Amino acid sequence: MSEPSGGGPRSPLDFPDFSKLRNFRFPGRKDGPGGKGGGGGDVSARKIGIALLVLVVVGLLFGSIYQIEADEVGIILRLGRYRGPAHDAGPGLHFKLPIIDQLEKLPVERQLKQEFGFRSETVGIRSSFADVSEEATMLTGDENVVIVEWVVQYRIVDAYRYLFKVRNIDETFRDLSHAVMRQVVGDRTVDEVVTVGRVDIENAAQQELQALCDQYETGIRVEKVLLQSNNPPDPVKPSFNDVNQAEQDRSKLINEAQANYNRVVPRAEGEALQTIQQAEGYALDRVNRSRGDAARFDALFAEYRKAPEVTRKRIYLETMGKVLPQVGRKVVVDRSVEGLVPMFDFSGRAATGGAASTQTPPGGAP
Amino acid sequence: MSRLGVVLIAGLVAGIVLADALFIVREDKQVIITQFGEPIGGPITEPGLKIKLPFFQKLHVFEKRFLEWQGDAEELTTRDKKYIYVDVYARWRIAEPLLFFQRLTNETNAQSRLDDILDGETRNAIARHDLLEVVRSTNREPVLDENAPTDVFKPIEGGRDRIRQQILEAAKTTAAGLGIEILDVQFRRINYSDPETQNAVFQRMISERKRIADRFRSEGQGEAARILGEMDRELKRIQSEAYRQAEEIRGRADAEATQIYASVYDRSADSRVFYEFLQTMATFESTIDDGTTLVLSTDGEFYRFLEGSGR
Repeated sequence: MSEPSGGGPRSPLDFPDFSKLRNFRFPGRKDGPGGKGGGGGDVSARKIGIALLVLVVVGLLFGSIYQIEADEVGIILRLGRYRGPAHDAGPGLHFKLPIIDQLEKLPVERQLKQEFGFRSETVGIRSSFADVSEEATMLTGDENVVIVEWVVQYRIVDAYRYLFKVRNIDETFRDLSHAVMRQVVGDRTVDEVVTVGRVDIENAAQQELQALCDQYETGIRVEKVLLQSNNPPDPVKPSFNDVNQAEQDRSKLINEAQANYNRVVPRAEGEALQTIQQAEGYALDRVNRSRGDAARFDALFAEYRKAPEVTRKRIYLETMGKVLPQVGRKVVVDRSVEGLVPMFDFSGRAATGGAASTQTPPGGAP
Repeated sequence: MSRLGVVLIAGLVAGIVLADALFIVREDKQVIITQFGEPIGGPITEPGLKIKLPFFQKLHVFEKRFLEWQGDAEELTTRDKKYIYVDVYARWRIAEPLLFFQRLTNETNAQSRLDDILDGETRNAIARHDLLEVVRSTNREPVLDENAPTDVFKPIEGGRDRIRQQILEAAKTTAAGLGIEILDVQFRRINYSDPETQNAVFQRMISERKRIADRFRSEGQGEAARILGEMDRELKRIQSEAYRQAEEIRGRADAEATQIYASVYDRSADSRVFYEFLQTMATFESTIDDGTTLVLSTDGEFYRFLEGSGR
């Protein structure tokens, strides 16, 4: 990209000198064959003349042959005049008229690139900013400050305009790019610049820059504007990072609560099912047992009705036979003994009271 | 030898004369010819090989291309008293070479005149507008994401483009009298110049971010609390519903069992007596153990025979 800018400013200064120099030598060359045709003159002068002639011819020939690389185009100015795109030289070896034709090479097929706000390489780029970071500092539409670094990729599509319409075209292109990026960023919020609006900014900048390039007749096609890193200024950076941190904190808190929920609620649902199943079990148990009890009673009662007295006595005695061996202390009192009960100390043994009171009814009932 | 010398000298002289008379006008140049300092004929703008009187007439070559003008980064004050660096550039071209030559003679003079004109107009324009007008171009609606503060864009009247136009219009008129056409004026750079202002802006940005961060955290806490509350509610609902269902089931079962028992025990007076008797017997079995003291009278059913046989 430094080639075109190097070629541009050089030629207008060089050319008059160049042509004068050639013109100066012109008569000398014409003179050589003329002197030879006239005969005479001494041999050494003739030799020098011929040698000079050969030298000049060979020099001119070498100056007339030129090569165009695969990604370049050669622009020929004949006597200072551009003869139209039909005479542009494509890749390969070409011949031009000495003195009369002047050659400019442009890398039209190459994608060119300029960096703003940072430098990945320091070769050949002039910047009017002493500090590169100064180049990247700009104001947003909400009066905040951001650091924007970007790259513009472009191609030369109109070699004639690129060469002959704007002087210092590289510098101009950089200025345009600066102005456009600041205009675009100036219309956006700091949040748009740093996060959500990056693609939008790239597109807007590309369009605006292309419009200006067309207005300036630069012959440049802007292929892409690429934002590198958009950052808040250093003093503000920690607080921007803290916003990100806070956003993550928010997610973390929510996730933790959700995890807690997920840990507790499904278990409770399972436990609820357990409770219900247990109740179902209880119900089955209760109903079945009652049915069983009822059936047993039914059967027993049928037999009891046939001989109630005997059955009752039998059951009573059987029960006593089962119960009495288990009783800790048995006191059998004769009917004639009176006032025995007050002699017992009932205070220590709770169960005895119940037992004592149930003593009479079963026997007494029938 | 002498003939050769004459020819050589004649050729040399002719060459020098021709070299001064012939000149090439390049595609990107335009030329004015002066004779003893006075312009002769119109400007030559067509490229090609041209001829003039040698020695008497003098060439003045000018650029035909757009030329740059870089303003110095100046510290200016906006209408709302903000101190900013404004870095302006302009593109211009020599529209009327003759007039340009007469008024300014060369590009260096032109640059310094453009300095006067454009710097002055810029200063005027900036002083008449608020900072926002210089920074913003349109009243577009910003794309708000969830972290953006809501009240960010105050409306502007004309914006950067209008200010550029004002500077351009004002400068154009003056420059036209010098044979110069100004194509375009652009703000290349606008930044806060005053460290104090810059600092205040940084502080504002920091507090703005803090506000957003606080909101995020509070949102997180609120959302977490909501989820935990929902969890508590769900727990209570699930547990109480389960309790209700379980008790309903138990109740139904109890009722059914009661009904079954009643249907057999309550059949007749006999069955009631028999049931009572059986239940009492069962109670004996379940309540009497080795801790029981049983006082039995020989009067009772059981020991009736004991007494009898003892006598």
